[in-house]
Formats: sequence, C-alpha cells, structure tokens
Amino acid sequence: MILGLLILAPILFSFVVFMTHLVTRNILVILFVIFLSVISVFNLISLSSVVEIALPHYFHNIFVFLDSVVLIFFLWQGIVKKHALVIALALVQIILYCEVLFLVPTLESSDILVDNIASIMYLIINIVGGIIIIYALKYVESENFSQIKKNGFIAILFLFLGVMNFIVSSNNIEIFFMLFELTTLFSYVLIAYRGNAISVENSLRALWMNQIGGVAILLALILSISHYDTLYFDILIHNRDNLFLLPIVFLILAAFVKAASIPFNKWLIGAMVAPTPVSAILHSATMVKIAPFLMLKLAPAMSGFVSISVTLIGTFVFFTASLLALNKDCFKEILGLSTIALLALMMALAAVGSEQAINATVVLIVFHAISKALLFLQAGILEKNFHLKYVDDIDGLINHSPLTVFFIIIGFASLTLPPFGAFIAKFMAIESIAQEILKNPLYIFALIFITLGSVFLTLLYFKVVTKLFAKNVDFQQEHTKLSNYYVIPSFLLLFLLIIGIYVTFKMELLSSIQIITPVILIAVVPFLFATLLFKKAHRVKEYNCGEKEEIKLGMYYFNVSPNYKKAISIVAIFGMLVLIVGVML
Amino acid sequence: MIEILLIILAPIIGGFIYGAERIVRARMQNRLGPPLLQPFYDMYKLMDKQAFIINSYHTILGIMHFVTLWVVVAFVIVGQNLLYIIFLHLLSSIFLILAGFSVKSIYSHIGANRELIAMIAYEPILIMLAVAFFMLNGSFEISAIRENSSALFSIPLLFLAFLLIVPIKLKKSPFDAIQAHQEIIGGVEVEFSGIFFEFLYMAKLLEYVFIYALVMLFAGDSFILALTLFLAVFFLVNLLDNSTARIRIDHLIKIVLVIGLTLATLNIIGLSYV
Repeated sequence: MILGLLILAPILFSFVVFMTHLVTRNILVILFVIFLSVISVFNLISLSSVVEIALPHYFHNIFVFLDSVVLIFFLWQGIVKKHALVIALALVQIILYCEVLFLVPTLESSDILVDNIASIMYLIINIVGGIIIIYALKYVESENFSQIKKNGFIAILFLFLGVMNFIVSSNNIEIFFMLFELTTLFSYVLIAYRGNAISVENSLRALWMNQIGGVAILLALILSISHYDTLYFDILIHNRDNLFLLPIVFLILAAFVKAASIPFNKWLIGAMVAPTPVSAILHSATMVKIAPFLMLKLAPAMSGFVSISVTLIGTFVFFTASLLALNKDCFKEILGLSTIALLALMMALAAVGSEQAINATVVLIVFHAISKALLFLQAGILEKNFHLKYVDDIDGLINHSPLTVFFIIIGFASLTLPPFGAFIAKFMAIESIAQEILKNPLYIFALIFITLGSVFLTLLYFKVVTKLFAKNVDFQQEHTKLSNYYVIPSFLLLFLLIIGIYVTFKMELLSSIQIITPVILIAVVPFLFATLLFKKAHRVKEYNCGEKEEIKLGMYYFNVSPNYKKAISIVAIFGMLVLIVGVML
Repeated sequence: MIEILLIILAPIIGGFIYGAERIVRARMQNRLGPPLLQPFYDMYKLMDKQAFIINSYHTILGIMHFVTLWVVVAFVIVGQNLLYIIFLHLLSSIFLILAGFSVKSIYSHIGANRELIAMIAYEPILIMLAVAFFMLNGSFEISAIRENSSALFSIPLLFLAFLLIVPIKLKKSPFDAIQAHQEIIGGVEVEFSGIFFEFLYMAKLLEYVFIYALVMLFAGDSFILALTLFLAVFFLVNLLDNSTARIRIDHLIKIVLVIGLTLATLNIIGLSYV
C-alpha cells in the first residue's frame, strides 16, 4: 500500500505539476514533497519485516511495452542526432532484450522486495530529492524556458523520484533493467534540457555510457536465466555457484557505469551543463545512488576473488578521482569528481561485505546525499546570484553572502570532519578494512588508497573553503538577500545533518563524549563570530614586509598530465577485465 | 585524578619540554642557551603587550585551534580511541588553516597552504599507525595500547615511519618548510600578536605533548621504555634540527610519503602474516 503510493504518487504529481500554473504549482509541489517525505518516514517506522509482493502478470506486459518504447526511443535519438555509438548500443540492447523475452525461466520469486536498505533509500530519495525539487521551483524560473518547459522540468524530477522509489524495491532483474533504462532516459532528457550544442553533446555521452550499463545488465540477465533459470535477485544470490559468478560480475559492471567510475567518469562531469538542480538530484538522491545500492544487494554473493577485486578497483578509483579533482577549477566539477570518488568508496566498502563495512556503506550513502545536495544547492546560488562558476573567482564571498559561505563550509566539513556522518562512515571503513587485512594482506592496498584518497579530498575541500574565506577588513557591504526558495531548502538539509548526528549518536560506535565534543567545538565558532568582536583591540593591517603593492593570491592545482589520466583509465579498465576473466577461469 | 592534573598542566609540560629543547639545542651549538623557564617568561611578556588584531574571525579561529588541540591532548591522556583522536587533530589543524586564510596576508596564506599540503604527508602515516595498533591489540583504544606490552618490536618499521613525521609536526628542520621563519616569517603565526599570539604559542606546546605522547605509545605498558623512547626521540629530533638544512615542501611530501608509506606498508603486511 505504502509502496504503491511511493511509486504511483510521484507519477500522478508530475502530471498535476505539469498542468498547473505558477502559484498553485509551487504550493502543490511543497505539499507533495511533504506528503512523500511523511510516507517514507512512516514506511521506515512501520516496516517490521521484509515486504514481498508478486505483481500480477499484466504488469509484466506493461513493463515490456515501456521497455520497448524506451529502447526504440534511444535508437531514434541516435538516428536523429547521428550518433553511431548510441545507435549501435541501442541495437545491441534491442537484440539482447528480445533474447531475454524469448527465454522463460521457471524459478519464481516476488517482484517487489522492501527491506531495511530499501526503506532507508526511500528516505533519501523522497526527502533529499524533495528538498531539491522545492529549490528547483525558484531556480527554473530564472531559466530561459517557456512556462510549459518549466513545469515539465519539475514534472520530470517528480517522475525521477517515482522511478527511483521503484528501482530500490525491485527484486526482478528484468524490472530493474527497465527502471535502469528509465533513469538513463530521464538523465538524458534533463542533461539536454537547455538545448544548446554542448548540452546535447554531453547528454549523448551520458546516454551511450549508461547504455553500456544496460547492455551489462542484459548480459547478466541472459546468463542468469540460462545458468540459474531465474531472473530474481534473491534466487540468483541464494543459489549462486562460485564457479559461475559471471551474471553477478556483469551487474557489478553496470553499477560501475551508473556510478560514473573511472573510466566512465565523463558522463557525470558532462552532466554539469544541465541546470544545477539536475546535478543536485543526480549526485545526491537519485541516479548514481543506484550503484552502491546495487552493490549492497549483491554484497552477500561476493566473496574471495570478486570481493577483493571490486574493493581494490573501488578504492583505486576513490584515490584517483580525488587526485584528479585537485586539478579542477570549476566548483561543480570539483563536486562532481568528489561524488565519483565517494561512490567508488561506497561500492568498495559494500564489496568488503562484513557487517561493519555494510553499515559504513549505508551511512555514507545517506550522508553523502545530504551533504552533496547542500553543496550543489550552494553551487546553484553562486551561479544564479553571484555569477560565479570557478573557484578562483570566489574570493571573499564571505563579504557578500556569509550564509552561503556557512553552508558551503558545513557541506565540506560534513564530508570529512567529526562528528558528521560521513566521518563516522570513514571511521568504520578504516576499521573494517583493518579487520580484513588480518585475513588477506592484499587489503593493505585498499587501506593505502583510502587513507591517501581521503586526505586528498580533505585537501580539496579546504582549498575551496579557504578561498571563500579571505576577508577584507575595511570592506563593509550590504549582504545580498537570497530568495527563501534557496535558503529554506539549505536550512532543511542542515537540519537533516543535525538529525544525522543524533542518529550516529544512537549507533553507539563512538561514546557520547566523542560525539558531543566536536559538535560543541564546531557549533561554538559561528556563535563566537557573531558575539566576540574584540572591540578593545586595535585593528591593524596585515604585515606585508613593507611592500605596498596589492596582492592577488591564486590557488594551487595538482597538474595531472594527460598521459597519467590515460594510464589511470587503463588501470581501471584492466582491473575490470581481470575481474571478468578471473571469474570465467 | 592524576589524569585531570595532567590535562590541566599539559601546556605547562609542553613549556618545560620546549625550554629543555632550547637548552639542548644551544649546548649542541656550544652556547649556554636560555633558562629552562624561558618559554614562561616569554608568555608573561606577551600578556603585557598591547592587543592588535587583523579581524575577529582570524583571532577566534586561532583560539579555536588551541582549544581543540587541548581537547585532543586530553583525549590522548584519558586513553580514548586513537583513530578518532587523529581525526579530531585534523579538525584542530583545519581551524589553524582557516585562520591563516582569513586574512589577506601573503605569508599567512603561504603558511596555511603549506600546512594543508603537509597533511598529505603525515595523515596517511598516522592512520596506518592506528591500523597497526588495531591489528596488534584488536582495538583502537589508547588505554588498551597502554595496557599491552610494547609494540615497538612488532612495528619497528612503522616507528621509523612515525619518526619521519615528528619533525613535520614539531616544525623542525629538515621538515620545517611550513613555518620557515627566514622565508615566510612563521607562516600562519605571522598575523597573531600579543595575547592572541599566546594561544598559538600554547598550541605549539600542546603539539609537543601530543607528539611525544604518541611516541610513548610505542612503549606499551613499560614506563621505563616510554621514558627512554621520549628521551631518544627528543635528542634525535634536536640533533637533526641542528644539523640539517630545510628542504622544500614538495620534496618533503615526496620523501615522507615514499619512504614512510613503504615502511608502513611493509610492516603491516608483515603483521598480517605473523
């Protein structure tokens, strides 16, 4: 019942939103978001055991129809846009899909399966995604779209939430494939939404890269049907035969594609050309979160060779993506690469498979969603209100908009420092990897990658933060007033972060003093900023060795030469090939 | 009770270490050196100075750096989770770095920048150290490490790796590019003065306590070994400080990461086979 609401209500909402006018639309959207959030919370509270539902057979026909439409649409887009790769991959997908339809597996299970992880995913999708939609209401008004296109934008975001709610509850790989393709479709449409040349180019890249993921799932599906006689996740995982793990490996590959892991990282970075709410929703609540979710689903089936190779590939990507991010100047690109890095880390942790590693993954999924949403909302504000895209230009933003600076600092701090959730996840990650090293010394490389990668990310975040901070003493200007549609969602996300601290408190991983101390240390800073003004102290100018010239400080970048970038991609591809070949042998 | 006393006295203990260090260094150079209590005389003098600040954010962040570092030292003394302490120490460094960037001063910026970059060198080794202790004791708790026998002979290579990062944290030559008095006049410190510099000064003393407390962790439950290690490292660091020239920050990162990580990795692989 709740599940039906979670899936169908967003679809209904999207139609309503599409039809209504500006003022009613905004009010309705806010109500819809509250509604979805309340149900997803209610679902988590009321869920006592795993819910399994088998869908009636005619649903299957609807799904086949939808799938065919989507695949033909991809083919058509490929032909219209004259993109050979899209055409080729669409044809491959159509052929493979037909083959899947001809095979009839006998082992049946339920199509829908809602467990704890799915319930937590509902929370992220509906609450964080919902907050982003509210933000998008104002954002989209400042775009050069017709009113219908503006409404359509919000409507597609709602549809996206519905599909995401469905995908995390599907147990049937065929349905999973259909939803996977639908998310590809939505991201394709959203990335191309501005309609200029670069948007179209990047959207096509996103399309063909995600199509590779689709092909991987189809291959997994065919192999699973032919060898295991089933198209259900739970049966596949339960009956797995350690000599034939190929279907699982193909699903893992699909996850790597969806997570934009190196070498598939270009599509997510290219997605930056879309309006910022799209980036926000792709990076935090939807789309890329399918990847770690799928990994969590497959985690019980991974052991030995598969587990260690996925962990090593994941941590390697975490390390290299963080390193590459140090080379970037565009604020959104920095955020994008750090998403890629953290997603790879999540997948690596899920592959470790110990209970603590799984918990770390879930915590990281949740808090990464909140922090990234917060950061992307600020990126949008920077773009719309201050026309800033590059980190090098954001000098002294604190004079114009302390609130935005505050949110950015909190966003970055929440990804690295205690007491925030992402820190807890990193903590658990190191602990679980340390336990694995005792069993298999190869995990030491995972540990090295994690420690180096996380220190690079810290460096990256605070390099950006410090740039915001440079304060000019004798410069007093009116602060820019931000729209409530921008400020309130940011505050809501901040509120979620604070609730998150409370949840980590409940997890009892750290003692209460260990959580409360950093909370106080961090919370006291803005308070002191506001109250402690040192009125009695004399103000002086900075010491400049007697030089009178104005100084302009730049930033430092780690220049990664193209050869290294190629080498990194080759290593990542090699890792994946080793995984496939190793499983086949 | 003794723990609370130690926590309260931590900056003073650091002051004595610093005072002793100045004497030892002077003797190495055939000088008499200042009296042992010189750091406290300095602090007393600083209190009397007129208060100058650049802006309030800068000053507050400097003070927060000191406060957080004191908390870190307190957690070490009480015997909390080592991994957690490393990350809390990161928070204190971040406060200092933000302070360095909150003024438009070229030296402060360069210093803060170097502080940030130096993190690449020491953070991974500190985390590896925590992991090694975890593998030996089954726990990250410092109290557990102190109860078990000395880990020095199980993780000798990690001890060497740790020795590499001691001069970075104590701002000693050859790894003192972060503060480099002659070229960037103290880096982050430069814009603090008078009573507000005092907080930074005390933070430096607390850093001494923190690092030497970590050195003593290698001794486990043996007090004599702890004392020996402390004296040996103390002497070695000052000897090196007197006898080496400063190296560039990028060389620092390369040297420490390559040598330190290799040593740490070899040691941990060795541990997992034992």
